[in-house]
Amino acid sequence: MLQAELIELLGSVAPIIISENIPVTESRESEWHCLQQKETGDENAISPFRFRPQRLRFAVEDEYFEDGDIHRHMYLQDIVTATADDEHPPTISEFRCHIAGCRQLFDTLEGYEHHYNSLHRNVCSNCKRSFPSNRLLEMHILEWHDSLFQVMAEKQCMYECLVEGCGLKFKTSKERKDHLITTHSYPADFRFDKAKKSGRIREKKTQQQKDSHMEVFETATIQQESESMDFSLTPEPESMKTVETEPMQTANLKPRYSYKVPSSICFGQGSVRGFRGRRKK
Amino acid sequence: MWRLKTLRHKASGSANDLEEFKHKRREFEKVLRQARRNKQLISKRLLQNVDEDEEEGDSMETGSIPLSPEQVREMIRGVQSGGEEKAACLASLRKALRNPESQVTFIKSENSMHMLIGQLSSHNAQCQLEAARCLHELSHSTQPSVGQACLPAGPYLLTYLSSQSTKLVELCLYTLGNLCPDSAVVREKLLAQGIVPALANCIHIQRYNLAVVEAVGFTLSQLLQAKDATEKIIPAVMASGIVPHVISALTPDPEFGYGPAIECTWCLHYLVSSNLDNSMLIAQGALSQCSAVLLTLGGAVAQGNLEGGIELLIWPLLRCLGNLLVSGGDVMPEDTRLLAALCVFSQAYLHPQPALSRESLWVLNNLTAGSSGFCSGLLLLNMVPILIQFLSFSKGINSMALRVLGNIAHHGPEYCVRLTQAGLLTALCATLKMAEPEVVTLSLEVLYMLVSSNPQVVEEFTRLNGVPLLEAIQYNSEGEQRVRAAYILDHHFSAFSEVESLSS
Repeated sequence: MLQAELIELLGSVAPIIISENIPVTESRESEWHCLQQKETGDENAISPFRFRPQRLRFAVEDEYFEDGDIHRHMYLQDIVTATADDEHPPTISEFRCHIAGCRQLFDTLEGYEHHYNSLHRNVCSNCKRSFPSNRLLEMHILEWHDSLFQVMAEKQCMYECLVEGCGLKFKTSKERKDHLITTHSYPADFRFDKAKKSGRIREKKTQQQKDSHMEVFETATIQQESESMDFSLTPEPESMKTVETEPMQTANLKPRYSYKVPSSICFGQGSVRGFRGRRKK
Repeated sequence: MWRLKTLRHKASGSANDLEEFKHKRREFEKVLRQARRNKQLISKRLLQNVDEDEEEGDSMETGSIPLSPEQVREMIRGVQSGGEEKAACLASLRKALRNPESQVTFIKSENSMHMLIGQLSSHNAQCQLEAARCLHELSHSTQPSVGQACLPAGPYLLTYLSSQSTKLVELCLYTLGNLCPDSAVVREKLLAQGIVPALANCIHIQRYNLAVVEAVGFTLSQLLQAKDATEKIIPAVMASGIVPHVISALTPDPEFGYGPAIECTWCLHYLVSSNLDNSMLIAQGALSQCSAVLLTLGGAVAQGNLEGGIELLIWPLLRCLGNLLVSGGDVMPEDTRLLAALCVFSQAYLHPQPALSRESLWVLNNLTAGSSGFCSGLLLLNMVPILIQFLSFSKGINSMALRVLGNIAHHGPEYCVRLTQAGLLTALCATLKMAEPEVVTLSLEVLYMLVSSNPQVVEEFTRLNGVPLLEAIQYNSEGEQRVRAAYILDHHFSAFSEVESLSS
């Protein structure tokens, strides 16, 4: 409602009572679900929703009233000033990543979005690595977690070039790497060998990186074949001002600019929607 | 006479002065907050003498050198010796008593209080007044021993509340008001001496003298803030007949200023928020009076008028209304102008006084909970976008706004549709990502009501990319959130559970 309309409404001398209320429908869900539960005994039928409109009462000494009481007493003691009070601005809500074990805070919605889209989409449920695209995730699962792939790779060329549309396949990971460097001009200092520790290199942020098989984080506890390609992505620092990370188990974690999620994160119950790999129930 | 004394900052003051002043004020505020947490929040008022030809110092300045015991004795002798000089002696004594150390010296001096009380009850009007002023200075002391020493003067102060001299009445009221918070002993004595009926009588006789009404309000508020008020004081107050006067004083007089209304409204807040059952107060018109005044103030604030300490009056009014709505049975106002007033307050004070904004939303919650009339009102008067604006602010503001929106949604699909049309879904996509768990849980509750109401809402939420968000919540460490997100996904977005989400 515009300011002018509010003024007009308040300027009315007579009370304003809505003559016809919008029709109300009683909530039938809760009753229906109770019935269902009795019939099937299925625990999923119980609605977890508890919200009911309720009037709240606050006692005179409640903490809720602190600010107003202080203001009152400052008036009594002549401390209230005529100048506008800029000492207590409202606080703007922060955003927090939902993933247990990550839980990072962000000042802005954009910061959160970027973080989540970069790190928590397309996650392999086996080793928890996340990938920038669905295609790369699929390739990863195939190459790392599929025993059939290992078998077939002994006989045929199975390592597919990462560049979309190329389609060439190679016998080993190294051959593919060479191909990427020679044919697709990948930088020579592209890190291919997995290091045991979390080495992080500042990558040139080229378009090619988006197409390469990028591992966004690594956990030291998982042993990998030395042929695997991986390097870490350093995130843009501008997108977040405050980064709070919960205490994490992996030792090689740096508090800033680190998106490491330890292998011990719990992804909660329920099916792993949106994540490739085994569905855990 | 009291006026809202706004601390004037020296026009020539430098930026440093301002910083220092702000710093002092912040420190002071910290002290007050700690005092409240210890349930020791006490304030006293000192009536400045505007008649006298004195330099104006701020109330915190004492300046004068403390008196020695010998000097005190001499001053006492000077008064007791009689003659023309008595009043003048008392006047100098009063000035000296501004110093806290002198106060202590004075009460320890033999016969000091006896002398003062003698003068207080004398037939010389001028001496009476000066003695009362001395007592007033003493009452302002923060030392409990000083206040206690003033107790023998109690019956006299109470007697003079029915005096014809309003100047004297005011002085005695503020003195009594300063003495009340000192200790339970002092209060018990004063209660036994009949302070409550005396106040009731005073406000009745002097109801057209707003300065006195303000002083009565102040004194009563001091009594009502006592820790033991609920058992010892409130029953007496309710029985005394003072309440109707307090309630009628809620209407501010534009010429005089907000002072009397402020004091009386705080009294009413202490009464309402201490009682569990306020049907008697409602029967005496508390609810309708609070609503009426809030509407008037709402009109003023809507026009941009935030001056003169109006928030000092709005604050206790909101609390009275908020708590009366819970504790008075089912008496509900019907006037939708109240909705406008509350929206105006919550908007106007969001930046200067966020806690006030939050309390306005609280009252909105109490109005809308279980009232289809007010929920319809918010929708039909197009106030939902205003509520949505509050969702960005934490510390209780967004959670209370979500409750109000939930109250509306709870009334059924017709309400949900309009909420969705007002853009609530987009806002929820943001609140679902916020750091405060309560905000996320409430958002899920509201979302559930919306998606259950209409398949179009399901579509819209999908279009807004809300499904991956719900999936992410399933990996949250808070069980309350996981369980709700899972339920919504299972029951309304089950078409998606088998399909792998294809990423960008």
